[in-house]
Amino acid sequence: MHEFSICTNIVESVIAEYEKIEPGPVRLLKVRVVVGKLHQIVPETLLSAYEVLTKGTIAENSQMEIEFVDVCCQCNKCLWEGEIDYPFFICKECGSGDIALIHGKELYLKNLEVEYDETG
Amino acid sequence: MKNQMIKVYKDLMGQNSLWAEKIRLILKESKVTMINLIGSPGCGKTSLLEKMTTLFPGKRDFAVLEGDVETTHDAERLNALGVPVSQLLTSGACHLEAKMVYHALIDLPLPSLKLVIVENVGNLVCPAEFDIGEHAKVAVLSVTEGEDKPVKYPLLFREAKAVVLTKIDLIPHLSFNKDACLNYIKQVNGTVPVFEISSLSGDGVHSLVEWIYSL
Ligand SMILES: Nc1nc2c(ncn2[C@@H]2O[C@H](COP(=O)(O)OP(=O)(O)OP(=O)(O)O)[C@@H](O)[C@H]2O)c(=O)[nH]1
Ligand SMILES: [Mg+2]
Ligand SMILES: [Zn+2]
Repeated sequence: MHEFSICTNIVESVIAEYEKIEPGPVRLLKVRVVVGKLHQIVPETLLSAYEVLTKGTIAENSQMEIEFVDVCCQCNKCLWEGEIDYPFFICKECGSGDIALIHGKELYLKNLEVEYDETG
Repeated sequence: MKNQMIKVYKDLMGQNSLWAEKIRLILKESKVTMINLIGSPGCGKTSLLEKMTTLFPGKRDFAVLEGDVETTHDAERLNALGVPVSQLLTSGACHLEAKMVYHALIDLPLPSLKLVIVENVGNLVCPAEFDIGEHAKVAVLSVTEGEDKPVKYPLLFREAKAVVLTKIDLIPHLSFNKDACLNYIKQVNGTVPVFEISSLSGDGVHSLVEWIYSL
């Protein structure tokens, strides 16, 4: 259930970032979050956490969209680079297990979609 | 009405990372190593700490931070052996976060310590997600849990700087296939050292302790 702790950070960040936007929009429509597949995040749990935790805030009724990033590595032996057969951290070229992560641990807020009043 | 996309790119572990950074600073200043023990409920984390204490009765340079959802049982077990220990109760949360660890850490007698071992809340998933400023996460897996846990919970085994396979004294009574388990560990983390131990007999505890003190 770490989705709730992570979502607390998401909601705090969303509100802080929304309030920084100049000129101020009328509404927050959508937030896009990028999650590396190495994080064991259950999307449904994260989405329902978002719904619960945004209640009564400016983010209430906004949509969260989760963008997943595949797990990619570079081989320390032959320098092969690419997506692995997660969860097997094995080089697809030479079979070495000595490989370094390049993608898959991302966890960040990418953008906010906001609505402006046409007259504004 | 017009909609607009506002670019943000903000790290979502921000708050936790700040506390973790503070912890790293304190550890560095006081020259203390911190280990984060992570494993399922009942995999033998506290038993290992007890055995460490009784096998090295002279060693009084380490303290323990016990993370549990409820009860102070584990802290009492270690306190009974004379280990400086603080209990961190998460009251429901399935993992320790850096802020809580920070406050417990600064209450320890750091100048007299070389090592702090954090026993995280029994759980293979959530604790692996949270950096608490440790030098090494150590994955603890008991032979009664099945061989395939490393590939079922890859993040922990990937992040771990060492894997401890516990309760090896029970292997003769089980259908546990150790080679298969070691192979799964290797498939997730090809270079990680594995320590096979029994907290009942004390087998393997020496080399684990040696490794920890060499960090
Ligand atoms: N046979 C055998 N039993 C063990 C060993 N290590 C632990 N146990 C038993 O496993 C049970 C759980 O051990 P604990 O050390 O309390 O496990 P833990 O990981 O600290 O558990 P939580 O803190 O509740 O997550 C106890 O009954 C121990 O006696 C071992 O090496 N061999
Ligand atoms: Mg315990
Ligand atoms: Zn390779």
